[in-house]
Amino acid sequence: MNLDEIKQQAAEIAASSDPNFSAAAAVVLQVAEQLEAGALAGSEAQEVLQDINSQMEIIQEMSGLQLKQKLNVAINALITIAAAAA
Amino acid sequence: MVPRSKNNKWKTRKMKKIALLIVASSVLSGCTVLDAYLMTGYDSSEYAAITSIRTKASIAKDECDDFEKSKSNAIILADEVQYFEFYEQKIPRNENGYNAAKSLNKIAQGLKDRYQQENSVSKIYCETKFKSIEVSSELIQKTLGDRPR
Repeated sequence: MNLDEIKQQAAEIAASSDPNFSAAAAVVLQVAEQLEAGALAGSEAQEVLQDINSQMEIIQEMSGLQLKQKLNVAINALITIAAAAA
Repeated sequence: MVPRSKNNKWKTRKMKKIALLIVASSVLSGCTVLDAYLMTGYDSSEYAAITSIRTKASIAKDECDDFEKSKSNAIILADEVQYFEFYEQKIPRNENGYNAAKSLNKIAQGLKDRYQQENSVSKIYCETKFKSIEVSSELIQKTLGDRPR
């Protein structure tokens, strides 16, 4: 895959409706353009792209925490209802 | 009208069913329900720590023209993110929070290391790194703000 193909693919994902993937793809597109223009060193680009993986991990962990929080609220509400019925 | 004793029996049976449902759910989902039930509630110190990180990253990304200022920003911010990781580490039943803090710290320490090792850093690298810390810490802040109170 050459740089133009990477840019094209990133542009397609950047235009998608998922805000997380869209934001990550926008960074990929920006890095590809800056790398091509010589504004970004290779090692800098490598690090910035690795950061996208870290950001994806954060999104995944926070999504898990949000679900746990919703479950916590539901359990406590159920306990309140059960206690009232006792 | 249902007699009082029958009504109480019905309530007891209902309670037992609810309790059984909670126990069964806990077993079936590998203690996820128990984890959720015992999870840490809202912590103002935790919320303040991540808000400070987000604020500093947001300000720093606009100061990338100045290398020395950005170097100082990177060091201060990375130290704060390190503090946040340690804070998250010892909160009971907080695997998600700790993992997110570790990932955030990986981004911040990379930035600090480069500023300490290099004599020049590109403006776009500086802006992208601070921006990724800002965006990630905003997501963490939003989630921590929703912790049960």
